[in-house]
Amino acid sequence: MIPLSYIVALSAFLFCVGVFGVLTRRNAIGILMSVELILNAANINLVAFNRYSNGTDALGQVFSLFVIAIAAAGSVVGLVLIIAIYRNGKSIFVDKYDLMKW
Amino acid sequence: MAELVFFVIAAAICFFAVLVVTSHDIFHSSVWLAMTLLSVAGLYFYLDAPFLGVIQVLVYVGGIITLFVFAIKLTAHIGDKSIVQTNRQTIFAGLCCLILFALLMNMLQHSCHGPFPHSEPISLKQLGQSLVSVYVLPFEFISLLLLAAMVGAIAIGRDKK
Amino acid sequence: MVNVAHLIPLFPFLAFLINIAFGGKLKNACGPVSVAASAISFVLALFVYQGFRSGGGSYSLGTWLSLGDTPLNFGVMVDGLSIMMLLVVTFIGTLIQIYSIGYMQGDPRFSRYFAYISLFMASMLGLVIADNFVMLYIFWEGVGLCSYLLISFWFEKPAAARAGLKAFVTTRIGDTGLFLGILLLFFTTKTLSFHDLQQISEGHGTVLAIVAVLVFIGAAGKSAQFPLHVWLPDAMEGPTPVSALIHAATMVAAGVYLVARTYPLFLVDPFALQTVAVIGGISALLAASIATVNNDIKRVLAYSTVSQLGLMMLGLGVGGYAAGTFHLMTHAFFKALLFLCAGSVIHAVHTQDIWKMGGLFSKMRVTATTFLIGTLAIAGVPPLAGFWSKDEILSAAYQNGHTVLFGVAVLTSFLTAFYMSRLIFVVLFGKPRSNLHPHESPATMTVPLMILAVFAALVGFVGSPLAHHAFQGFVGGGESSAASQANGGMMILSTVISLAGIGLAYLIYILNVNVLPAGMLSRLNGLHQLLLNKYYIDEIYDAFLVQPFLGLCRISYKIDLGVVDDLVNGVARFVAALSEFLRPMQTGLVQNYLLVQIVGLIILILTLGKLCFRY
Repeated sequence: MIPLSYIVALSAFLFCVGVFGVLTRRNAIGILMSVELILNAANINLVAFNRYSNGTDALGQVFSLFVIAIAAAGSVVGLVLIIAIYRNGKSIFVDKYDLMKW
Repeated sequence: MAELVFFVIAAAICFFAVLVVTSHDIFHSSVWLAMTLLSVAGLYFYLDAPFLGVIQVLVYVGGIITLFVFAIKLTAHIGDKSIVQTNRQTIFAGLCCLILFALLMNMLQHSCHGPFPHSEPISLKQLGQSLVSVYVLPFEFISLLLLAAMVGAIAIGRDKK
Repeated sequence: MVNVAHLIPLFPFLAFLINIAFGGKLKNACGPVSVAASAISFVLALFVYQGFRSGGGSYSLGTWLSLGDTPLNFGVMVDGLSIMMLLVVTFIGTLIQIYSIGYMQGDPRFSRYFAYISLFMASMLGLVIADNFVMLYIFWEGVGLCSYLLISFWFEKPAAARAGLKAFVTTRIGDTGLFLGILLLFFTTKTLSFHDLQQISEGHGTVLAIVAVLVFIGAAGKSAQFPLHVWLPDAMEGPTPVSALIHAATMVAAGVYLVARTYPLFLVDPFALQTVAVIGGISALLAASIATVNNDIKRVLAYSTVSQLGLMMLGLGVGGYAAGTFHLMTHAFFKALLFLCAGSVIHAVHTQDIWKMGGLFSKMRVTATTFLIGTLAIAGVPPLAGFWSKDEILSAAYQNGHTVLFGVAVLTSFLTAFYMSRLIFVVLFGKPRSNLHPHESPATMTVPLMILAVFAALVGFVGSPLAHHAFQGFVGGGESSAASQANGGMMILSTVISLAGIGLAYLIYILNVNVLPAGMLSRLNGLHQLLLNKYYIDEIYDAFLVQPFLGLCRISYKIDLGVVDDLVNGVARFVAALSEFLRPMQTGLVQNYLLVQIVGLIILILTLGKLCFRY
């Protein structure tokens, strides 16, 4: 099998791509998608380290299961929020919502 | 042979992920996201975690992506191609992400000189047993969380008129 | 029963709290609340008197604070002088408040009036029982504050607001003197207690004389002595019962009381006593002469008060400690009576100009009779109160060898008799001069008048030779035993003076006899003008003190506006400009913040990696 560092590098790349998406997407749904990428990057790490560890503990896989569940919950709530915002302001471009400034 | 499979999967993941964040059409993005997630599921199979791979396909591709598509369609008219989908900090953000990646690679180079697996992969039985024995409490909490998210989603999403 | 003395000021203060807090709800019940409070205080004062007679004395409620090594006690002064003041203040105060219920009926700030009056009483009573300078000073300022509040009670009238301000500022000059005196006293002798004044008088001669003079400046401010007397006539803008209270029981009495209380200080150096006597003499003569020409019923009484206070100071200054305090007490009764009568008259005719009144005797019998009694008392006709106390002062001045001051006192007595008779003759007798419809005042006003009239007539006996100078013995004026010897000649002289003054006024204002040759009259015109304009003292103050000060204020205002304000505003503007420059940092866009966060993460990795993990 390939060395662990390859997989970690892949996960790092996926993470950075996700961060880039979060930073640049105007569409809130796009941001949410990028967050999913970041979560997947984390999951890859968890599974890989679990596979490459010595023990017989299933911690890594259990943890990624949890992450998937939480991600599902998170994106559900996030999407509902986006739809609620859209209903109020007729836009889901985050740069339209700059109410947080001074 | 095994290495080749990995490189194919890795290339697919990278390729689709980049498309997700750069695509001009948000609907296309969601399709590329589905492809990315499928590739990640493939990676799970490669890493001897077939159960996770199946869950990935079921939950992500089957559930979450569907939700995304619904949300996109509900907010349809702004997904128009003529509208710029990226904001003004794109170049700087890209630069930052590159630096971040470089730093992470640098750290990896210094720290992780990959050990190779020399144990048996976790069996499904093992996974199932640990879920309902050692990790039963977090497991229950996750169910609670999902319930709360569901109730919350209904409460927020309900049209108050 | 002496140790209830500290409760005496508490009841009026309680009434103040009740009236100020629940005045809106109590409405007309405010008056009775205040009256009840001071009546209780009066009863307590009687108990204290009883206790003192059976051997009680001053006591302390414990230490308040330590000034260096000197403990400052919550002391309560119980001696003849303070008991006399307690009785007079609570008794007259109660009557005046009863009177006020009638007088202030229907005033929109009825409850507040009684709240202030009660606070005034509380301050004055606190001042009387204070046994050290610091407590006295606190209550002293309380009295000043209340006088300000009450004089400008009808603050809608600009004249009233100005009068209140004038009273406050003028007495403040005196207060500064008192404060400096207190500081100097503490600095030299390390004590502030009145009990120690007797002992410390040895060894600090000159300094204590300065202290005494400074204290006297404070007393002069409160008691309206020349040259700080200008506020008192203007204080007539307040409600008439307030004038009565200020003139009889609370405000101006405080000054004389202070001098009497700190008398040992004055005894140290003849110079201090001399100052007191001379200032008192000047005030007495000056005010009496102004009163002879003034046409405002309340102002005549106000100048009369200045004059009588001058006499008290003169009495104290020539060594007649008992004489001065005796006059303080008798004066409190008849001056309260006179003011309340004047208030009753004003209440009836709604004017203060005596030349618009006249012939009121038949219309307002009670008021007029009591007014007459008060006038005879102040004029010094035997056997009314003023006779005995004035006689004491004259005797003191004469027997201690102050010939000039004795002359001044005699002249003042003559003028007093003259202007008071003039007032009475013009207001009560003759024909009505304008179309007024006077009516007798309600019972709440006339009953206090009658009570006060009885006291004004009889209170003098407690200090008369007939009662073996019981009063003098009580307040402890042992040093004036020579003065208090029955002096038949002095009594005859005093009576003659009074009757001469009354007779002259009778000739001029009732019989309309031209007492002076025609040529003399025109020559006196200048003097008349001088008196009418109160010796131009207000004008002199205005030109030499007020205007330069206002000019200075205007310059300061400009400086404040141009330099200080601009400096402060400049700082504010600088900060505002800086903020304007920094404000765009807060874009409100989540992704900007996140980007900054990522940059931060990069920096963190770079530095931490270098420092901790040596990548």
